[in-house]
Amino acid sequence: MDNHPVGLTIRNVSKTYPNGVEALNNISLDIPPGMYGLLGPNGAGKSTLMRTLATLQEPDEGQLFLGDIDMVNQKDAVRQTLGYLPQEFGVYPKATAESLLDYFAVLKGITSRAARKETTEVLLKQTNLWDKRKQKLGGYSGGMRQRFGVAVALLGNPRLLIVDEPTAGLDPAERVRFLNLLSELGEASVVILSTHIVDDVSELCTNMAIINQGQILLEAQPLSAVAALKGHIWRKLTDKQDLHALKQAHPVISAKLLSGRTLAHVYNPEMPGNGFELVEPNLEDVYFSTMAGHIGNQKREIAR
Amino acid sequence: MKLWKIFRFEFTYLVQRITTWLYGAVLLLFTLVMNLLISPGDGIYANNTFHITAITVIGGLIWLVIGAAIAGEAAARDVKMRMHPLTFTTPVTKRDYLGGRFLAAFAVNAILILSLPLGVLLSFYVPGLDGEALLPFRPWAYLSVYFLIALPNTFIATALQFGLAALSRQVMASYLASLLLALVAQVFAVATAKLFGNWDLVKLVDPVGVAGIIGSDLATWTASEKNTRLVTLDGLFLWNRVLWLSVAIGTLVLTYVRFKLATVVTDSWWSRFIWRTNVQDKTAAEPAVAKATGIRVPSVQRTFGVATYLRQTLRIAWISFTKLARHPVGLTGVGAIALVSAIFGYRIMTQFDIPMLPVTRQVLAYLTPPVGNLSTPWGIIPLMIIYFMGELVWQERDAGFSDLADAAPVPEWVFLTGKFLGLGLILIAWLVLMMAGGIAMQLGLDYDGLEIGLYLQTLFGLQLIDYLLFALLALVVHVVVNQKQIGHLVMLLVFSLMAFPSLFRVEHRLLIFGADPGWWYSDMRGFGPTLGPWLWFKVYWIAWTLLLAVGAGLLWARGREQRLKERLKVAQRRFSRSTAWITLLALGLILSLGSFIFYNTNVLNEYQSSADLAERKAEYERRYGQYRNTPQPQLKAIKLHVDIYPERQHVKIRAAYTLVNTSTLPIDSIHVGSVSGIAFSEVTFNRPAAAVRIDNELIHHIYALKQPLRPGDSLQLNFIVHYQQHGFGNSSTNTLVVKNGTYFTNYDLMPAIGYQPYRELTDAVIRKTYKLAARPVIPSLYDREARKKPASTDQATFEAIVSTVKGEVAVAPGVLLRTWTAGDRRYVHFKTDTSIGGEYAILSGKYRVQEKEWNGVSIRMYYHPDHALNIDRMLQSVKASMAYYTEQFGPYPYRHFTVIERAGNGGGASADASIIYYGEQYSLMNPDDGPDGFDLPYYILAHEVAHQWWGLSRLTPANVEGGGVLIEGLAVYSGMQVLEKAYGERHLRRYLTYLHSSYELPRSLASASLLQANEDFLYYRKGGLALYALSKYLGKEEVNGALGSLLQKHHSGALPLPTTLDLYQEIQQVTPDSLNYLLNDLFKKNMYWRLKTEKLAVAQTKAGQWQVTMNVQAQKVLIDSIGTEHEMPMNDWLEVGLYEKGADKPLYLQMHCIQSGKQTINVTVPRKPDRGGIDPNFLMIDLRLDDNMVQLEEE
Repeated sequence: MDNHPVGLTIRNVSKTYPNGVEALNNISLDIPPGMYGLLGPNGAGKSTLMRTLATLQEPDEGQLFLGDIDMVNQKDAVRQTLGYLPQEFGVYPKATAESLLDYFAVLKGITSRAARKETTEVLLKQTNLWDKRKQKLGGYSGGMRQRFGVAVALLGNPRLLIVDEPTAGLDPAERVRFLNLLSELGEASVVILSTHIVDDVSELCTNMAIINQGQILLEAQPLSAVAALKGHIWRKLTDKQDLHALKQAHPVISAKLLSGRTLAHVYNPEMPGNGFELVEPNLEDVYFSTMAGHIGNQKREIAR
Repeated sequence: MKLWKIFRFEFTYLVQRITTWLYGAVLLLFTLVMNLLISPGDGIYANNTFHITAITVIGGLIWLVIGAAIAGEAAARDVKMRMHPLTFTTPVTKRDYLGGRFLAAFAVNAILILSLPLGVLLSFYVPGLDGEALLPFRPWAYLSVYFLIALPNTFIATALQFGLAALSRQVMASYLASLLLALVAQVFAVATAKLFGNWDLVKLVDPVGVAGIIGSDLATWTASEKNTRLVTLDGLFLWNRVLWLSVAIGTLVLTYVRFKLATVVTDSWWSRFIWRTNVQDKTAAEPAVAKATGIRVPSVQRTFGVATYLRQTLRIAWISFTKLARHPVGLTGVGAIALVSAIFGYRIMTQFDIPMLPVTRQVLAYLTPPVGNLSTPWGIIPLMIIYFMGELVWQERDAGFSDLADAAPVPEWVFLTGKFLGLGLILIAWLVLMMAGGIAMQLGLDYDGLEIGLYLQTLFGLQLIDYLLFALLALVVHVVVNQKQIGHLVMLLVFSLMAFPSLFRVEHRLLIFGADPGWWYSDMRGFGPTLGPWLWFKVYWIAWTLLLAVGAGLLWARGREQRLKERLKVAQRRFSRSTAWITLLALGLILSLGSFIFYNTNVLNEYQSSADLAERKAEYERRYGQYRNTPQPQLKAIKLHVDIYPERQHVKIRAAYTLVNTSTLPIDSIHVGSVSGIAFSEVTFNRPAAAVRIDNELIHHIYALKQPLRPGDSLQLNFIVHYQQHGFGNSSTNTLVVKNGTYFTNYDLMPAIGYQPYRELTDAVIRKTYKLAARPVIPSLYDREARKKPASTDQATFEAIVSTVKGEVAVAPGVLLRTWTAGDRRYVHFKTDTSIGGEYAILSGKYRVQEKEWNGVSIRMYYHPDHALNIDRMLQSVKASMAYYTEQFGPYPYRHFTVIERAGNGGGASADASIIYYGEQYSLMNPDDGPDGFDLPYYILAHEVAHQWWGLSRLTPANVEGGGVLIEGLAVYSGMQVLEKAYGERHLRRYLTYLHSSYELPRSLASASLLQANEDFLYYRKGGLALYALSKYLGKEEVNGALGSLLQKHHSGALPLPTTLDLYQEIQQVTPDSLNYLLNDLFKKNMYWRLKTEKLAVAQTKAGQWQVTMNVQAQKVLIDSIGTEHEMPMNDWLEVGLYEKGADKPLYLQMHCIQSGKQTINVTVPRKPDRGGIDPNFLMIDLRLDDNMVQLEEE
């Protein structure tokens, strides 16, 4: 197997569930090697897309290619190079971390006993589970279990790593470690990270897409997207009772509490008026602007 | 009112689920199908109580699976769905939470089970089903079944299922409760009843009712009772309900006490059932230091290919095996049964309650029932296979990491094979446990002739294949159905089809999954020719399972696409080139092997379904019934030249029959017909005759004689019979001519003269379907025409020259005139002194021979060299019997007598004139012949020797009702006397208890009188008991004299033929008038006595004697043909006995005249008695023997 990094191509993928929910609607993406962030609110279709990439689901329409592998029709080939960390998963509560990881190593095709021993040892150490390797997984905390999942996903140097909401259960230290790891992996493979935490993407990803209601709203590089937004985001500190009026008057993209008052961000290419202050935009502003329809593929009629 | 809210929510949730409705539909469908399949017996209406009850109870077994799903969901769904952190933290009390959930589950289950009686009711009125006459609608028949049986069962089962699921926090644990209940019903109850010989225990212990209600009380109901009686709550049934309802309530209380509205912290779910302080899990907090070093993921070599897939398969197999092995019943279930078997080996290794040598073959017969056999403890294995296969198929999904596993680079077939092998490993573990249990059983019984090779061959060669086939079917069903509960249900239906194929009218084994023609193993024959056909069938079924496995691989649910439509789409893609090849291979194998088997079963051999067989019998009667009364000559001499080729399963018989016209009319045609369907050929007569009808279909030939055979004249008939086993048949592999085990009778191969009434259909209902005139199964005692016909008219002398291979010895009845060897064949020449009737058998095997003589009779004993245990005992019995019967009833008619072991696993013995055959199992009986023992083998041989006087060629009763009493009843009575003479009263008493014990078995009390006896039970049991009672009342000499007189007055085959009326008359001759009532009660009536001693009190008189007072109660009832009891006035002479402590000899034994009702008996005896009462020797037919006597009450 050559280690030449290959990209992922998604063409016109749609998926509608039997209950009528349109999870993916004609999605096309080009994902180059490296870290790719998939950002979107809950229920946006992220997990459906991730599961489709992880060969667990099939699209109703459209194609997916990993390099020249047809991901729908050549699932075996995809799985041989896939690492997948689902959003939630269980374990055999009676099994120890070491034995179950070893089991997965076999499933992933690491047949040499020595190689398996080495790999599992390194992974358990790296995920900080080495001391707990003899402990039954039933007694693991959420974070430990998540780290165990990470170890499983990393088995066998995957060229395609799908991580679905990975940082949700990790403590800050773990999160840092995990993100660092991902960025290193991103040098040689496609790593797709789905999250609703904007910081995850901004810290790591060279490319990203924002997805909502089954559609790609924005496909961009975080840095350039932020740069493009420069001069468009304004902020204003206001009182809670005035927020409604503010929303009526201006395209507020986000509002959060700050020391008892409300800090509103407003999208406007020009100075919206008095009391507004230009801010240096960040990825969060990109996200909210996209969600609000100011930028991206689906610019809506902006309600005035 | 939170309880009510919870109840309503849960109830609505369950009712809204589509599966709940599906379950109801399954139950309804079951009742409809059963109504179609079951035809009520004579005089019973379709909608009788028995049918309603039976269907409800048996349907309840199916419901046990359904109910487990409902109750388990209600109890543990929150935990399963991980919703419990939300629900448990709401301000709900344990009482409301558990109460509401349980009541909802119970309500849904109660409604579901209502569909059983309701379905039964509907099934009678579905238009177009049948036009059978129905009883008027009786609401109570349905209501009583529902409220007394179904609803309490539902409560009990739901409580156990709910409790187990709630405490273990696992939905599936409820299935364990179902399995327990079904086990208790089927296995535990029946096993305890068998072990302790008390059938009442079944009624008490069985919670479900299959054995306790259906197989017990209701089975004994008469036709009219089935039509009219209702199920009532009384007796043991009441106690059963009380017992199990308390168990249910206890379980609920335990559940309430032990359940915690909290998150589980221990990982052992057993710990939730036992009292223990919870141990906080050691999940130490970790230092929250941001070690921001990156991870270096090691680079490893990964390989994909067949070698990797095999390794993955093995790994999956191992992890599956360890999961099952760690399951609470994974190894313990089978292990416990094996252990109990080893402990109770002395009860299991018995034949007719007599200990047997636990030879390996015998132990294996116990260990290897057919997969579909539910009546042994091993019946749980297929049930566990179904359950565990479901667990394995759902292993990843239940644990929640199916996403991880499904995304791994593992082909579907690896998962499939791995799980299958995992179950295979647990099966091997079970078989190892069974083997250990079997060996422990043998060693525990001080037997050390272990045949490990035979164990391995049988358990791991034959039985394992059967279980594996079944396991693979379970795997495929679970994969395809893709819903665990419904998968279990479908498998149970498939299993019932396998277990009771005849119920579904499927008979050909090519159509019953996993079926084979059966195999057997005997010490003499080994496996014989059974393994070949067995293997052909198994390979055929393996081909099927291969095809099924391909289907399962294609439909294997992977990822999130779980619906059938999506899976079918995926299947198309999975259908690769190699899949196509395997499918083609499997199909090719199925077709070629199927054709080959079909060629064997239906072309080389004649395949007859039971319908074909009935049609054949009906056709025989239609075509030839007109000759029923046509005079035919009597068979007077049989001369045979028999050549046996055991290796080739071939025998050639050249026969010459001498036929004599014993009638008063000339005979112009001879009918020759084969009973067994074996053709005969080259028929010639020694006078001009022409074939007028050659019916090769029913094998009945009619020859017209040119010159009629005048009365007294004779003719000779020659023919040849060729028998060659070609290939194999559909049912049990033919065993007439086998290496070291040839045994065939005249009925198996030889034609008979004249129309044979026993080739007719006898079952009244079937006769009606074939539009044949109604006829009694046995002609009436008062049918004067029938009284002129014996069972067989043949009275022939017999002579045979038999050849067989050099290593074997051939045997036939008669005196051995000569033996010689020619070429590689060994010849024997046998000839009988006089007529032997018409029944005989010819055998060949590697026998050892012992020759003895008794009063000019040469006794030859042939036996398998390893089976010498009982030879001396048998010889003693033969000599003692000969002597006793000669003295009592008259001389033995031959100068030769043969006793020979018959290859095959029968435990009994049978007799023809001058010869007795016994099965291999008989030779293993190892009775205790000490004073407290019971030498049954000795008795059995005495019984068979008695047939040389009663039946066969001596006393030949008319073939009418009661005929069997003259043959079997008299042989039982005679055998008892020989036993008593040799071993004394204690052995005899054991035998009497054995005769009485069958009265205790569940059976209807309504039966014919002895005079008109029509079933084995009356012939053997009541016949023997009645004659024994008479011998005690009238004196043994008087009764024996009467029997001797009966024998002298009737010559073999000569008219008038003896009947029970003649027996009655002879005994009446020696009966004083005062006891005429007793003869009448025993022979002419179906009378039962209820005798009971209530109290025994003593007082010492001044003279030092003891004044005894007994309060007794007596009743005599007549039970008519429909089971109604009529109390009869009593004025009967009954024995009253008093016994000293530890003594057998009575202190006092006198006849007293006893009236109906309560009375007091006063007796004075010289010493102090310890126990006493009426009828201490059990001379009367009394269903309760244990209350005849009481112990003295100590002041």
